[in-house]
Amino acid sequence: MKYLTTIGDKTYTIEINDDQQVIVDGVPYPVDLEAVSGQPLYSLLINNQSFEAFVDQGDEGWRVLLRGDLYDVKVEDERAVRLAKSAGAAVAQSGDFHLKSPMPGLIVAITVSEGQAVKKGDILVILESMKMQNELKSPRDGTISRLKAKGGDTVEQNQILLTVSG
Amino acid sequence: MSNVTKVLIANRGEIAVRIIRACRELGIPTVAVYSEADRNAMHVRNADEAYLIGAPPARESYLKIDTIIDAAKKSGADAIHPGYGFLAEREDFAQACADSGITFIGPKPSSIAAMGDKAVARATVTKAGVPIVPGTEGEGGLSDEEIIAVAPQIGFPLLIKATAGGGGKGMREVFNPEDLPNALASARREAESAFGDGNVYLEKLVTGARHIEIQIMADSQGNVIYLGERECSIQRRHQKLLEEAPSPFVDDDEDLRKRMGDVACKAAAAVGYINAGTIEFLVDKEKNFYFLEMNTRLQVEHPVTELVTGMDIVKEQIRIARGRKLSREQHEIKLNGWAIECRVNAEDPYNNFMPSTGTVSASILPSGPGVRVDTCVYSGYTIPRYYDSMISKVICWGETRGEAILRMRRALEEYKIVGVKTNIPFHQNLLDSHRFMAGQFDTRFLEERFHIGEESPKHPDIAAILATLVAHHQTQHAAQIVQRGARDTSNWKWVGRYERMHR
Repeated sequence: MKYLTTIGDKTYTIEINDDQQVIVDGVPYPVDLEAVSGQPLYSLLINNQSFEAFVDQGDEGWRVLLRGDLYDVKVEDERAVRLAKSAGAAVAQSGDFHLKSPMPGLIVAITVSEGQAVKKGDILVILESMKMQNELKSPRDGTISRLKAKGGDTVEQNQILLTVSG
Repeated sequence: MSNVTKVLIANRGEIAVRIIRACRELGIPTVAVYSEADRNAMHVRNADEAYLIGAPPARESYLKIDTIIDAAKKSGADAIHPGYGFLAEREDFAQACADSGITFIGPKPSSIAAMGDKAVARATVTKAGVPIVPGTEGEGGLSDEEIIAVAPQIGFPLLIKATAGGGGKGMREVFNPEDLPNALASARREAESAFGDGNVYLEKLVTGARHIEIQIMADSQGNVIYLGERECSIQRRHQKLLEEAPSPFVDDDEDLRKRMGDVACKAAAAVGYINAGTIEFLVDKEKNFYFLEMNTRLQVEHPVTELVTGMDIVKEQIRIARGRKLSREQHEIKLNGWAIECRVNAEDPYNNFMPSTGTVSASILPSGPGVRVDTCVYSGYTIPRYYDSMISKVICWGETRGEAILRMRRALEEYKIVGVKTNIPFHQNLLDSHRFMAGQFDTRFLEERFHIGEESPKHPDIAAILATLVAHHQTQHAAQIVQRGARDTSNWKWVGRYERMHR
């Protein structure tokens, strides 16, 4: 399998054919990967050098936390990339943004009302969790199209609180 | 004098565990109290006895004085240690203990009252000749209108602080008069929910200042000593994140240390203080220092002082509560080496420090020479959302500041907490920053001159390989469901099975 792996503006071509080796931009390296006690914490031996890192799949690709640095990594199947290229440009992303509660907590206040126009960075919701009040802000300009929570509500993680339409 | 034969700890988290440890070493039986959210908490498991005191919100459990006193009576505890936060600086709690014939391991109610009402505190220390920062003093709980009226006299920028406060809760910075009403409302709301008291006061914001505090110990025979200073300028939203002892700013200026220490002892003596306490100072670039407040309790960051003085502050607190003389005199306090503490919070440093709750699926603690970890978290523990996000403290000692920093870097790399996000990467970035290493920072450093991820990462290639290997393994794992048993047993397959089992 061949992958195109991107960090920032650098893309690596990484080929994996078996468990013991990776070929990075044409250069083979012996590897040995183990999950540490079944966790998203991995131990990697590469050329006998030892690394340990957290590797998680997020909404927008992979997150690798390695020696105090966080890397946002995009991993794509090389064939899929070729297919997508031949299929033409991707569809432009717009539409609704659903504000989800990033953690369980108590809604102290919803500072906007339905139909209200908001700008990027405007405070939408004040959420209290772990004794701290946190301001949840709008990631872009738009209009509040739906409120699904109100002040005083107890909410769960990832519960949709409101929708911003662009 | 008073006996301390069984101690109830009116707290939770790492500090309850810390106090239980001290009691264990002294051979004193311990009593834990816990809310419905804390049945599985470490302090409940470690104590000799444990009593349920109510529902998860602190107001219905850890802040309920009557219920806690009842638990003390029921268990036969003759002393209560309040830890920090919750009831630690509540005069009515100390008084309720006294009224029930229970020894409160801390200062007298009158000292808590004098220092707890910050307006009275400022008036008292001013009278004793201690310099203070300008602010609304002596006026108690002002209304919004009164505060808005008095603000221009103090001048902007200024700080709104909770009268009952601590730990940055209910605190707001205000740079313009027009922002004051909103800031007041949110500060009051936060103070009300954290302390059950929405009163606030104003204070001038001293810019370019350092936050340096002096640990004092006072016994009931009138002896007061200071255990050197702690540097606490590394703060975010007025929450301390990293502390060290001694302060790199004071460093080898023994004269400054002695002057601050003497003033601290004087401030403590002015309220007839007994037990462990901390005087917080703002220190400007010219080494002028101003009294900020006195914390009439054990501090979160007390371990750095323990490591450089060799004194166990919690055990000394119990000794003092028993009416005995301090174990050391001032001339016997020598600072040895350097200590740094990093507060590990369950929050995501890459997402605006948003709190992260959940279950800790694995916790691999750092160890080895010069490393101490005070924590309440273990593998399988679910962090409740009702309390503070601080879950652990890593404290490192070194012969020099340089060694302490290098040791802390090493320890943080060893520390692995899986299942919740923590601010460990933030600390790692901070310890790598040149300004921090040079000791050049003030209380604004984190907010104005430090950003996580500023230095270019060192191993992008390794990160790329790791992500690709794990992604590849997941694809293979998805394929395996179709063609079960079709391949040889590989490590990755084993890993995949293991992960599925634990899902």
